[in-house]
Amino acid sequence: LEPSLLPFLVCPLSKRPLRYEEATNELINEELGIAYPIIDGIPHMIPEAARTTQKKPPAEGLKQP
Amino acid sequence: GDIAFRFINYVRSVRERQLQQKLKHHQNLSWQEISESYQEDKSKSLGNSQVVVCDINKEMLKVGKQKAQHLGYSEGLSWVLGNAEELPFDDDKFDVYTIAFGIRNVTRIDLALQEAYRVLKPGGRFLCLEFSHVSNPLLSRLYDLYSFQVIPVLGEVIAGDWKSYQYLVESIRRFPPQEEFKAMIEDAGFLKVDYQNLNSGIVAIHSGFKL
Repeated sequence: LEPSLLPFLVCPLSKRPLRYEEATNELINEELGIAYPIIDGIPHMIPEAARTTQKKPPAEGLKQP
Repeated sequence: GDIAFRFINYVRSVRERQLQQKLKHHQNLSWQEISESYQEDKSKSLGNSQVVVCDINKEMLKVGKQKAQHLGYSEGLSWVLGNAEELPFDDDKFDVYTIAFGIRNVTRIDLALQEAYRVLKPGGRFLCLEFSHVSNPLLSRLYDLYSFQVIPVLGEVIAGDWKSYQYLVESIRRFPPQEEFKAMIEDAGFLKVDYQNLNSGIVAIHSGFKL
């Protein structure tokens, strides 16, 4: 993930800042409990691609938008 | 992607020119000073300029990214998968928002325009390049003929995909004409909204400012 990009990105739903989690390579919205994946260096900032942080990350690939 | 490349080229050429001016006016620089200024230029050829490319389709982004790498663009260029109706960017962040042949495919164009307004800085400019309407009646008939009789056929023959090209020409007809789109842009809050026809209105560039 391009470091200069992070200050620009927010959650598309709440428009609140995100936390970059290096371990899972995700952008986390703590408040809503959702995580957006970064795939091939591209943050997938749509709700369809996100997972809730309560459950474990899915084993298979994510659905196309 | 393509607009991003042009923007990067422009920023680089401006900085190049600035550097040349600087060197011209300081004829008595030491060798150390000269080499320092060249190094500075190499590490940040864009300065603080950044381009973010956003698209809802992963394949489009992949193609764009590959093209960028192939052409040697890497610095200051970021790629984000996002929805124009619900942008993952904070308010008042960008100087320019451009969209080329994209807004026609957005379900809620009004939402996309509102989002464009939101993420632009005050003084920022909105630019949209999109298919539009031909007012000249003769040209319009010829264009219709070409659109519906030739384009989908070529689509089938060359790409084996009649349907996508049928969608293309239909989506062009469905999109509002110049004045109506201008009004939509104004509804989103933009001021000094104007448009410029290219090829008698087959394509138009709309512009607006967040003031």
